[in-house]
Amino acid sequence: MRNYILKRILKSFVSIFAVVSIIIVMIYTMIPSEKVFDNDAGAKKMKGDQLTTYKLKKLEELGYHDYVSKIDMCTATFGDGAQSCIDGDEAKLKEASDAYAASGYEILTLKSGEPYALHTYKWYELIARFYKRLLVIDNKNAIQDPEDPDMERKYYWGKNPENGSPALLCQGCTYKYQMWFDGSFPFIHQNKFKLDFGTSFPTNSGIPTMQVITDGQGSTKKINQTFDTGLNEESALIQTSCQYKVQVDHLDAKRFTDKYANCRSYHESPSMVNTSYILGLIALVIAYVMGLPLGMAMAAHKDKLLDKIGIAYINLLIAVPSLAFIFFMRSIGTLFNLPDKFPQLGFNDIRSYIMPVLILALLQTPSLMMWLRRYMIDQSNADYVKFARAKGLSQNEIFRKHILRNAIIPIVNGIPASIILCISGALITESAFAVPGMGKMLPDAIKQTNNNMVITLVFIFTSLSILSVLIGDLLMTVVDPRISLTAKGGE
Amino acid sequence: MSELNKDDLFTIDLSDDSESEHIAAPQYSYWRSVFRKFFSSKLAIFMMILSGIVILLAIFQPMISGYDPNVTPNINRPEMKYIRPNATYWFGTDDVGNSLFDAVWKGTATSLFVSFMATAITTVLGVAVGMWWGFSKRVDTVMIEVYNIVSNIPATLIAMILVYAIGGGVWQIIFALSVTSWVSTAYFIRVQVMIIRDREYNLASRCLGTPTWKIITHNILPYLISVIMTSVSRDVPSFISYEVFLSFIGVGLGQQYASLGRMIQQYSPYMTSTPYLFWIPVAISALISVSLYIVGQTLADASDPRTHMI
Repeated sequence: MRNYILKRILKSFVSIFAVVSIIIVMIYTMIPSEKVFDNDAGAKKMKGDQLTTYKLKKLEELGYHDYVSKIDMCTATFGDGAQSCIDGDEAKLKEASDAYAASGYEILTLKSGEPYALHTYKWYELIARFYKRLLVIDNKNAIQDPEDPDMERKYYWGKNPENGSPALLCQGCTYKYQMWFDGSFPFIHQNKFKLDFGTSFPTNSGIPTMQVITDGQGSTKKINQTFDTGLNEESALIQTSCQYKVQVDHLDAKRFTDKYANCRSYHESPSMVNTSYILGLIALVIAYVMGLPLGMAMAAHKDKLLDKIGIAYINLLIAVPSLAFIFFMRSIGTLFNLPDKFPQLGFNDIRSYIMPVLILALLQTPSLMMWLRRYMIDQSNADYVKFARAKGLSQNEIFRKHILRNAIIPIVNGIPASIILCISGALITESAFAVPGMGKMLPDAIKQTNNNMVITLVFIFTSLSILSVLIGDLLMTVVDPRISLTAKGGE
Repeated sequence: MSELNKDDLFTIDLSDDSESEHIAAPQYSYWRSVFRKFFSSKLAIFMMILSGIVILLAIFQPMISGYDPNVTPNINRPEMKYIRPNATYWFGTDDVGNSLFDAVWKGTATSLFVSFMATAITTVLGVAVGMWWGFSKRVDTVMIEVYNIVSNIPATLIAMILVYAIGGGVWQIIFALSVTSWVSTAYFIRVQVMIIRDREYNLASRCLGTPTWKIITHNILPYLISVIMTSVSRDVPSFISYEVFLSFIGVGLGQQYASLGRMIQQYSPYMTSTPYLFWIPVAISALISVSLYIVGQTLADASDPRTHMI
């Protein structure tokens, strides 16, 4: 069993690797890089060589190519004696550009005649660069500050400024707080391992994509907290998120005794991840609370009126395009004075949530009802049911204690997998209601040509779905010990 | 003793051997039973007529009207815009003064074309590969890994990213929709093939030296008709739904194509001011997929020989 799980996890990684790699190569090679600037306000203000160099630098930042300007070329080739090359020594410049041309660079010239070297990454380089950057492990030698070269580097125990519980701190790392505990999910938090997907562009320009989707939204929220220096004030800074800052200003010095002063902020509204998560989870619970009893009732009254109505409902929901269904439900919602767009009333009003959650839940019910009904009807012809009936058990007892317990097993397998449905359902629902969550973020990022964001979301969605299928299979073996995932069947 | 006439002793009875082969049983023809079963459902007949009308309108109406979303002759005539549905303009006119009736049927034609093509590719490829997959162990070891990768990832996600990368044309959308979905169909067929392949009649057939190809085409494929029909009847509406969804979120068909999804997206802000612009495409998209789904489901039920018993 352990071997099987290890194998499955390994295969999951291979799946994620395959899908994400294909998508990276497709996005970087098939979409013209010019499209990145279609929605960039900065590029619209520039023209000529300024625009060309801006684009070259930006695309280098986004990982399309390696751009080496004339100055960099000269410096890299001649070191300290580069000045004459930069100033226009033809022979030296030729030598420098030849060196770059020899190592696979293309030598191009700007309109002003200034040469530069450009190396567009091949597909395998794109993949290698992505995975090389992906996992960032914070260590105590991470910070090399020229102003403080002899910094003492150590891990030590301190306490979480929010609640006083113990926390693992570090001096010399990028993040001061390496590990801490608090009351919010998942209770143990860490800054040691981070995923780096690059920065978002052109929307939220320059901010890492992970930060865009995990940071709170809306205006900052100030809460009363005590800083290292003993200063007690209303501040929005999240102390556990503080990173090393080379240039500390006097405001930082008032709060912090060290140079870890680059902190993220508390926000009024939950982050994109949390928004999707809240909606999805509530919807999932509602779907099961509604779908399971209905499916059971349909199986119990097979071929009666209730069953027929249920089948009509299932067929209707499968056949009607989800978009049409969502808009229909939304207009019903407006009859009850519920908003047709999430931001109208915002996060703090319960009415904003009712329709999106209800629609997400309803979209999940038909498959749930259909399968539970199917499994229960199949089970009700089994020998053990006939035996139970012969023993004189009541119909109700047979149904609840015998049939349901066997029929629920495949449903249990599907619980984690319905997270997948949640995601794809959330894509449409969140777009229709303009809910600021991850589901809406993906189409938005695609429309804005925000490639790093697209890759980030694909990575997250893919990993989530693969993980949920794995957990579903494992959960099934827990619920029903007869099931073995490792047994070999068939030929 | 008088000589007996040979003819008096025996009469030669030339009986027809083929008559002894005849078994008294009611006449059975597979396809006739399928149609009898199908036409016994009034709802299915109604839906078939409805989807027939929709398909014919989608094919011929754009030919007559010659509608093209890029041609906007009335764009500078405010009196032509936002005309409510009336006798001349059955579905009213849109924001550039074109008849919505023309636009809707052109859009329907696109949606239907995308959905039928994607279903055809998915089914043909899925059945062909699924058959092979069910028979060959070597194919199984490779394909099961491919299936594990593909089935774990939401199809919507793959379709979105593909359309984003390869651009939003009709054929690109068809490619994006069918590139992963055929694997699920193939897997579905593989399981069915594995169930049927080792039944006694197939073992007997193999013992008698029937080649595998003939076993597939004569013994197994006819068995799978109802299974394939079920999968087709699910695929058609789901592909319409996908196309509408992709165009709605703006990664589907581009501006130059008429599409129901794009219309829904374009007119969703008009929901309160000119509701017909928004609700007509929504209603048509729902109408097509519901009618096709019910026709497909009934046909799938009817093509299952087990339902033919009277």
